[in-house]
Amino acid sequence: MAPTKTAAPGDLLTRVAEARQTGALMVGGHPGGAVYVFEGRVIYAESPAAPGVGELLTSSGRLAGRTWQSALDLGTSTAWVGRLLVEQGHLTQGELELCVLGATYDAAYFALSAESAPVEFLPGATHWLGAVVHIDAAAVSREVLRRVHLLDEIFPNRRIDVEPVSPVTRPPRERVTVTAAQWELLVHADGQRTPADLAQLLGRAGYATIQELRRMAAAGLIELPETRAADGPEFVRLPHPRGASAPVDRTTPAVPVISGMKGPEPTARHPPPNSDPPSASAAVESPTATNRPPRLARRKPGAKLPKELATDSPPVHQGTDEVLLKRIRTALRALR
Amino acid sequence: MPGVDHCLQEAMTIPGAVGASIVDYTTGFPVATTGAAPNEDHEAAAAGTAEVVQAANSRSLFVSAIPHDLLEDLIITTAGGYHLLRMVQTEFDSRLVLYVWLDRIRGNLAVARRMMQRLADELVTAR
Repeated sequence: MAPTKTAAPGDLLTRVAEARQTGALMVGGHPGGAVYVFEGRVIYAESPAAPGVGELLTSSGRLAGRTWQSALDLGTSTAWVGRLLVEQGHLTQGELELCVLGATYDAAYFALSAESAPVEFLPGATHWLGAVVHIDAAAVSREVLRRVHLLDEIFPNRRIDVEPVSPVTRPPRERVTVTAAQWELLVHADGQRTPADLAQLLGRAGYATIQELRRMAAAGLIELPETRAADGPEFVRLPHPRGASAPVDRTTPAVPVISGMKGPEPTARHPPPNSDPPSASAAVESPTATNRPPRLARRKPGAKLPKELATDSPPVHQGTDEVLLKRIRTALRALR
Repeated sequence: MPGVDHCLQEAMTIPGAVGASIVDYTTGFPVATTGAAPNEDHEAAAAGTAEVVQAANSRSLFVSAIPHDLLEDLIITTAGGYHLLRMVQTEFDSRLVLYVWLDRIRGNLAVARRMMQRLADELVTAR
């Protein structure tokens, strides 16, 4: 197993593809993701910023939660979930292929667009969905680059892609025109939800979401993320959380990947520092807080946490099997 | 079970067809392609296709005049050919269009439109 190291995810994918390897390329960082390769060809990709096949199919109502759940129950162990849905007549082959293709390119953008991220290749890992499509790895890399350029042509500000979305309270013009997709985003943007949250909530492709957000930013319809909190010196002066004596290693720990396991959920889904109400920064002792500004430092020594925060459940363990959580969620939905 | 490749193979049996692809019109990316493309470049053709669909969808009033009056297909006629764009309506979130390039002389517009409608429907509905 290759040790986790920081590199350009796209370069590693190219090497893996040239060697016609099979396995999973795990990309850490924000948002990160995983690209699954079978004999050098991409079969699936997933990222916390891009709704997966299951979310796309269930949130649109195309499949009932229980249908998806039972396909997972039956097909996960044999990596046959996709074909199973077709065999059982729930989806057409065309729908399955189009959905997987869409989800794969969408997640690949988030996993591979970082110029440098902690990456790791896990040979032999497969995805529970099974190999529905086989995409040339070079085509995926090329498309990821093209998508990066497309976004920058619309409005070159990458922070829009990750920061919580706030619609402007007063439009910059007398008359504004929005598309249906933009309306949907504006209505659901509450100043807390990040683009990734909105994509998952609405069951829309993550890239399409970002594209609309950049367009709205260009039109002056959403607030631009504050640049002050960017990679400025303040960010660097961050003290380590209490109890951590050594510099905190922010690279994600290597997780033993069984089939279908996602990388650890990055902290990108938490509201970033500048939008936090002051009280929320009391969660500084959680491992997810390493990149927050040290607001809590202003608290008097010995002061107690407010009751409602002190009783908060401990943060989710980094290695929690996300697939399991998703299955529980889907199962609960099916009960409704 | 017709998959994406089968759909494109069928599209190539339309009289006069010289090329076909399925294009994601938000990104201008050809999800699947077969046969020839204008200038032998499926990716450039897809990017152009996406712009045409977006123009019809959002920059004109054809589509928004009546609620739920969705775009079904677009036909672009050139001296040498027909370029047909048929929206593929999936229930899950996707923005896909089936594109077929027809030779002007051998192609029959009415036949091609009917076949493309059937193909786009079959791709996403169980029968």
